[in-house]
Amino acid sequence: MAKVTPGLGPPRRTVAGRGGGRKNAASPATDTLARPSDSRDEVVTALSTGVRGSRAAGSVSQDQPAIEEGKVIELPVRTRPRKFKASGPPRFRIFIIDSGWNSVARRVLRHNFALVHRLHKEDPIYLLSRKKSRDFIQRHRSLIGRDPIIAVHDLEAIQQDGNAGFHGFRLHLGILRTPRQALTALQAFARFLRMHRQSPSLEADIRSELRREGILGTVEILLHKVPRVIGG
Amino acid sequence: MFDRVGEVVSVVLGALALGYLIYEIDRRKRKLRDLFYVLDSEDADISAELMDMVDRGELQPYSRGGRA
Repeated sequence: MAKVTPGLGPPRRTVAGRGGGRKNAASPATDTLARPSDSRDEVVTALSTGVRGSRAAGSVSQDQPAIEEGKVIELPVRTRPRKFKASGPPRFRIFIIDSGWNSVARRVLRHNFALVHRLHKEDPIYLLSRKKSRDFIQRHRSLIGRDPIIAVHDLEAIQQDGNAGFHGFRLHLGILRTPRQALTALQAFARFLRMHRQSPSLEADIRSELRREGILGTVEILLHKVPRVIGG
Repeated sequence: MFDRVGEVVSVVLGALALGYLIYEIDRRKRKLRDLFYVLDSEDADISAELMDMVDRGELQPYSRGGRA
């Protein structure tokens, strides 16, 4: 006899094939999940089968034989699909420096930041406040007018060689003049980071894929494979 | 005489077109280099300062509603 779980209320009769029944019935997805073998499984499986069968038939029927009236069915907790979890230690450290220029790039970054953050959950993102950004840029004047800046530090490269050689790259969104340019660059940046998280040679990938250096890059620019809004 | 003038004009126009092509490619490449700026030893001090800010705790990883 299935036990009554406290808090579920009086035993309820599940009706297969109805909308209300649909709430109470185990969804078809649950019967694909692994469960320990149990007498309850047979009932739930039969219930699911009944639901699927009635759906396939497209008709509501009370003649589903699988359920005994009055029997309390403890439905298994529906296991939610696992959310993506970070795989291993972070590869990058991402800094966003924005002193507050009233620019289209700044607006594009603000509107799309949440999505960028979601796409890169494994890597910590550090947002400098406006004051901190201003102070920082005052100390490093070559950055004036190039912000908002997204600086990416490659932790693997820093571990190997420190700051002496290649250790990351920056995206200078402030040099872009239209929202479309800024959005395209941001998308290219997000895609690149996502695709090259495990890259053994990030610098080479940046030079070939983002900066289009070399003869192949020249050909790609000529053939307009680089979006004109970025390189144009 | 007109043939020679024609040849000269063609050569000059061809050279201008080629020059413009080279200029345009170079301009786009410069823009891409400026947009995606690679960090090397010249930027060590800038990067070091950012890393120091993280190590000192001045900067915290972003979480919803948080900002350094």
